[in-house]
Amino acid sequence: MDYLLHIFIVSLIYAIFAMSLNLELGFTGLYNFGHVAFFGIGAYTSALLSLAGHPVTLGMVCSMIVSGGMGALLAIPALRLTGDYFGIATLSFGEITRLFFLNERWLTKGPMGLPGIPRPTWIGEGVAGLPWFLIFCMLLTLVVFILTRHLTRSPFGRALKVVREDEYVAQALGKNALSFKIRAVTVGSILAGLAGSLWAHYISYISPADFTLTETILVLLCVVLGGRGTNWGPILGAFVIIFFQEIIRFLPIPADFDRFVAPIQGMVYGAVLIILMLKRPEGLLQEYKE
Amino acid sequence: MAVNDVSFQLDDTGITGLVGPNGSGKTTLFHLITGFYKLDSGQIHFKDKRISGLAPHVISRMGLVRTFQQTRVLPFLSALENLMAASPGQTGERLSSVFFQPGRVKLEENNNRERAMQILGLLKLKSLDQHLAGRLSFGQQKLLELGRVLMAKPKMILLDEPTAGINPTLIRQLVDVIRELARKGIQVFLIEHNMPLVAEICEKVFVMDSGSLIFSGTPSETRQNPRVIEAYLGREDYGA
Amino acid sequence: MVYGVFRFINFAHGELIAWGAYLALFFTRSPFYLPIYFAALPALLITALIGLAQDRFVFEPLRHGNRITLLIASIGLSYFLRNAIRLIWGSDLQTYGFMPTRGIDLAGLSITSAQITMMVAAILFLGILYIILAHTMLGKSLRAVADNMTLAQIMGITIKKVSLAVWVLASFFSAVGGVLLAVDTNLEPMMGLTNLLKAFAAVLLGGAGNVWGALLGGLIIGVAENLSVAFISPGYKDFISFALIILMLLFRPKGIFGILGGVR
Repeated sequence: MDYLLHIFIVSLIYAIFAMSLNLELGFTGLYNFGHVAFFGIGAYTSALLSLAGHPVTLGMVCSMIVSGGMGALLAIPALRLTGDYFGIATLSFGEITRLFFLNERWLTKGPMGLPGIPRPTWIGEGVAGLPWFLIFCMLLTLVVFILTRHLTRSPFGRALKVVREDEYVAQALGKNALSFKIRAVTVGSILAGLAGSLWAHYISYISPADFTLTETILVLLCVVLGGRGTNWGPILGAFVIIFFQEIIRFLPIPADFDRFVAPIQGMVYGAVLIILMLKRPEGLLQEYKE
Repeated sequence: MAVNDVSFQLDDTGITGLVGPNGSGKTTLFHLITGFYKLDSGQIHFKDKRISGLAPHVISRMGLVRTFQQTRVLPFLSALENLMAASPGQTGERLSSVFFQPGRVKLEENNNRERAMQILGLLKLKSLDQHLAGRLSFGQQKLLELGRVLMAKPKMILLDEPTAGINPTLIRQLVDVIRELARKGIQVFLIEHNMPLVAEICEKVFVMDSGSLIFSGTPSETRQNPRVIEAYLGREDYGA
Repeated sequence: MVYGVFRFINFAHGELIAWGAYLALFFTRSPFYLPIYFAALPALLITALIGLAQDRFVFEPLRHGNRITLLIASIGLSYFLRNAIRLIWGSDLQTYGFMPTRGIDLAGLSITSAQITMMVAAILFLGILYIILAHTMLGKSLRAVADNMTLAQIMGITIKKVSLAVWVLASFFSAVGGVLLAVDTNLEPMMGLTNLLKAFAAVLLGGAGNVWGALLGGLIIGVAENLSVAFISPGYKDFISFALIILMLLFRPKGIFGILGGVR
């Protein structure tokens, strides 16, 4: 039962993370492969603040601000690049951020990580607090869902799609494509920061190893599998992927084969991505009705 | 150097044509005017304001709207959405307004939708409003693109080969729309290869060849001008 | 080379480096026990096969579609291959098992015999590459295709053959690079990606699609990385290439105006 709660909570956190990436990738067509950097920045910001004694809520709000700010900072120069190159640049940024977490020990304690991150005071620590945390996550996910849905259905969202489909047309129609992209990345980064801070307070121990390429692949899978450019897609994708990821631990695997689990999962993810792209690149939920 | 030494002035109203053999730099000129290409030298003014050097979206907002040679409807948006996206100055496109001014955004959207449906009616595409633009026929897409230009409340429109590749009935429809626009005071500047059409609707014609402006005058003058004829029909190296 | 001809960034390319190195490792162990430079040979061949398989099964079908689809597929492929390595060989560091040798002192720098062999091998391979590119029919075809695929096709160059050749060559060189790297340092599953990013930085420095530029770029990066250890903390060594990538991308004229030639 507790384990089920755990899977749900992680799925919800990843749902928020995926929705944030979907805004950038699915709606605006930006290949941000370094998105995990903002997840990490949110996590570390919130963790550090609450470890220093500040209330968790403050930590979470600050993490959103910091992530959003960093997102905007990255976006302004990086968005002048075309698609592929933006992907590489953001990927590099993701790695640089991880290296930063790893090396700036005075701030982040490097590879040792930050243990003992507190939960919000009204949620108990440990297993007893799980149901409350779940409710907390559900509320937040709902809020984020409603907000992003409102955004994507608005003229702003429509303009994002225009920029995604044809940047020249966007310009010809008087829309400043660059400005829209920057705004999309900023909002996406804010939400990723929120997801990151939730993660930190849930897992209560973070280290640079939590924010690697693996996480990038995971969240990318959530968005791509679930259905880019839809509102339910990332949520569906998150649940599917996280369930697969975590349910493995339930299976009775003899200890000898334990070390095979992670690589095989990795291979499955890679294969799923490839097959998806070959057979059904839009994902499970389609954006437009036929 | 695709376009070299072109200087001209367009009158305030009416329909003007831009013609010339393939590769003479007509589309490039459009790119330069609308800010998609940068000028190496010279200036462009629109209604007494300098526009050379400005970004394309800024120029578009000043009322100078264009179409592209290949239809560029947004295939995965419906016809209606394609038009609604083109409306200028939407408050709903501002991030803050989406959340803090929902009433106003909704009002604008409704007005927007009405106007879009009107234009669809004008183009006789009303029944296709929910269809994905990518599913429309080529001719319908061209009409839709014209409609999109209209939505943008232009003061002047640049049409790049609007009748290319469509059947005569549809051409008639297009011509009617273009005439209607000119009547309403919107200035039309169009690139065309369809000479009879140019002769029919344009009051003035500019001719380009190899990147330079070689002639300007009425359609009948143009047809008789030897330099123009030479540009189109016979140079030793052309078509060899 | 792959970018020049196919115009896409193959994330899985790095894994060819890793696979080359690991396969060589495989052949040095039982039951083959080949000395490293002989072990490398079958490794190269198999890696070339992997490269070809990549093209045949994943990239070729996607070539004419959406760019993003191709990119994501290559990311998936890279993840797949990397985890396959983890599955077979584990995540720990491995080495070829050389005895550490004392270096020869050369003008203040200490160079081991292994490194000398590496340099010789590198020069040898580069020489081969040069000969192929500049003097053979294949090389000229390759350059033609990189320049303009459609035109090359009209001129009678078989795209299929050239594609094959590109992948084989690229795989070969990656594998060689991987083995050499592993000889100098060690093997670990992430080596594919880390070196891919560095390779990409080199490509950017030299100008995408330009093989000799990439070469020069690689040299610069190699030197810069190792010299930089004197100035900044070693943990940031990889940072150099990343920073370079970002800097290069920012100061080259990219963006709307760069690709506007295609606007009709």
